[in-house]
Amino acid sequence: MIKGVGGTILRIDLGKGKIEKQPIDEDLIRRYLLGAGYLSKVLFDEIAVDTDPLGPENVLGFATGLLTASMFPQASRHVIAALSPLTGIWGESHAAGFWGAELKLAGYDAIIFKGKAKGPVYLNIKDNEVDLLDASPIWGRDVFETDDYLREHHGKKCRTLAIGQAGENLVRFAAIMNDRDRASARSGLGAVMGSKNLKAICVRGTGKIEVARPKEYLKQMDEFYKRMMANPFTEGRIKYGTTSLVEMMQHIGRLPSYNMRQGVFEGYRRISGEVITDNYLVKPRSDWCCLQRCGRFTTVRKGPYAYIGGSPEFESQSSFGSRCGNDNVESVLYAHHLSNQYGMDTISLGATISWAMEAWDEGLLTAEDTGGLDLSWGNHEVIVKLVKMIAFREGFGDVLAEGSKRAAEIIGRGTDRFVMAVKGQEIAGQEPRAQKSMGLAAVTAARGADHLYAFPVLDEVGFDKEIRERFGEQYLPEIADRLNPKYKGVMVKECEDYMVVVESLGLCKYGTQIPAEFFYDDVAQALLIHNGLEFTREELQTIGERIVNINRLFNVARGITRKDDQLPDRLTKEPAPVGPSKGQVVELDQMLNEYYTERGWDLETGIPLMKTLKRLGLEKEGKGLAIESE
Amino acid sequence: MSQLHFVIGDPEVCTGCMICVTVCSMHFYKVISPERSRTRVVRLDNGLDFPLFCRNCEDAQCIPACPNGAISRTSKGTVIVNNAKCNGTGACVEACPYFAVHIHPDTRKAIKCIQCGECVRRCPADAIWITTVDELTERDPKGKILGLHEEYSEELYGEEARR
Repeated sequence: MIKGVGGTILRIDLGKGKIEKQPIDEDLIRRYLLGAGYLSKVLFDEIAVDTDPLGPENVLGFATGLLTASMFPQASRHVIAALSPLTGIWGESHAAGFWGAELKLAGYDAIIFKGKAKGPVYLNIKDNEVDLLDASPIWGRDVFETDDYLREHHGKKCRTLAIGQAGENLVRFAAIMNDRDRASARSGLGAVMGSKNLKAICVRGTGKIEVARPKEYLKQMDEFYKRMMANPFTEGRIKYGTTSLVEMMQHIGRLPSYNMRQGVFEGYRRISGEVITDNYLVKPRSDWCCLQRCGRFTTVRKGPYAYIGGSPEFESQSSFGSRCGNDNVESVLYAHHLSNQYGMDTISLGATISWAMEAWDEGLLTAEDTGGLDLSWGNHEVIVKLVKMIAFREGFGDVLAEGSKRAAEIIGRGTDRFVMAVKGQEIAGQEPRAQKSMGLAAVTAARGADHLYAFPVLDEVGFDKEIRERFGEQYLPEIADRLNPKYKGVMVKECEDYMVVVESLGLCKYGTQIPAEFFYDDVAQALLIHNGLEFTREELQTIGERIVNINRLFNVARGITRKDDQLPDRLTKEPAPVGPSKGQVVELDQMLNEYYTERGWDLETGIPLMKTLKRLGLEKEGKGLAIESE
Repeated sequence: MSQLHFVIGDPEVCTGCMICVTVCSMHFYKVISPERSRTRVVRLDNGLDFPLFCRNCEDAQCIPACPNGAISRTSKGTVIVNNAKCNGTGACVEACPYFAVHIHPDTRKAIKCIQCGECVRRCPADAIWITTVDELTERDPKGKILGLHEEYSEELYGEEARR
């Protein structure tokens, strides 16, 4: 028996209003763990290739990791997956908070939704009692109002997950929010929830998590906590969260500015971590068993942008700030707050607005298109206005709600060259000309442009010690040089394998990757004392590879090949015009060749070779998709 | 002034991570379970997080409330529950103005913080400590910490908090 889990999967057919409980499949867990890995396999099997992402046939899965609700540092996370309405391929998103832990305390490891409810519903879970209830009183309400309503009706101790108006209105980058301000933002999964008429999942779990080795448990955690707190990164993380990345990224020319025309922003100081910490920070706030506490709780006390709430992250500072040429920090904070309230991905949202701003700057968009809005760089009033217009699909907001790729198709006039996206998902706040591994990671990530699937930060700020531990000497010094494309295929492959394992355990990338304090041996130790599962480092690595490969097969089945693993021309052909990385381009082809070789995928097509899949036990899944030849 | 010890937390420093809660349930009951912890954390939407413990009151209401005489104060001043005598009437839970005594869902015995310090030494934010009335006054002369507890008493100890 696997310890430290809920033990039950909920299967819900929204069309029929049917709720089923299944025991977890232990064999599946040994092959895919839980969380992201588990959903990768279940959704690969259950979503037909011709499914409409916003149709009732799409399958929407929620899962906790094997270590979610454990006492491991930052073990607070859950994962959500479905066919993405933004990209039409694998869609996956994760968030911290307390909701995942509460779900496990109620006795459930995952919830799989199919079908579409006839009218608005929400799922209410109180331990054994699971009910679909009428959500018409909260349909049309924002995330905070929904949380208030649910906790008013079901008790203050409930933890809620919900979509805001953006998800209801099928905004293609709508987020699924939990615990008010935690976002599973990417891939537009909020729109999938909206398409199913599913407003929220309210959970109250009064159960207990029994662990495999209770006598050793606290002693082991003491060791992990000591290491986490002693890590030199922790102090800065507590003080600034991720907000001070603005200063760091400016320093290396990696701060996307003016829709990624460049990697430096002259107004960076005004949106910096220091400004936010000195003027707006109420305090750092943690999620379940989080020692790093990058979460910020902030307030703007007066003026048009007044609010109090959880925010921001570096990504929002970059997307509403530098990316839009906007140095008005209060508008950045407020735009982030509104995105939480309406439930949207701040990355795709800010990137889509910045696409429109560049098109405006180039004279390709006019007041006629925008309904009179002036989209000049840095027009913060319009940025804030657009956040609401997009969530409600009002006016020009209706076009932008489609994401930058589709918006460019609607507008035409060559505006597609300003779309900074991969496979339809907007590139996050990493100007890849200043860090080549991030460029490769953006194209290989299963959910379209993404910095987190691999999260290759080892070459960012000199983690030579960690590189040496993980790769030995053989790839140094090139692998540690962020501007050198050499060995970045090796690094991204290795990082992806580890990061999908982390996402399958419910752990955070802070602590496992930046700082890289805990590696395979540590999580293996945690799996042993928490779950009673024995894995070697090699076995976990193989599971990681298996997950990446089944994600790839999911996408290959939908036509994805090397031709789609591409960056916008700007990043591979136009040298960075200014800043510390001036003159750099992303040498993508060279890195991709190395990456496919490392992966055992066909160089020409980027499709997995059957011999690779055989090694991973994915022969059946690869049938008809994999490349059979050598 | 009273020299009785109790654990207090600063809601402006506490980050709400719940490590104290999980440490407690693991230390005493070998499970992870906020419902089986002697401490709790209440997060408010205004940014305050309250880690909450037995106040070890001078005139502890839980002691006389117990019909079985199961609750008493040790010579060191700690209010403890005698499991042999407790049969889970819940009278102590009702009597405690701070909702700091709970009935363990499995054993049906009353449980409460006994100032063991296991959570205190593991709090990553140094937001909680074992104090006395004097020590607290010295550390927080304006009484801000207890003032905040008082200000939000309904949210922390009221009917909704007990549901």
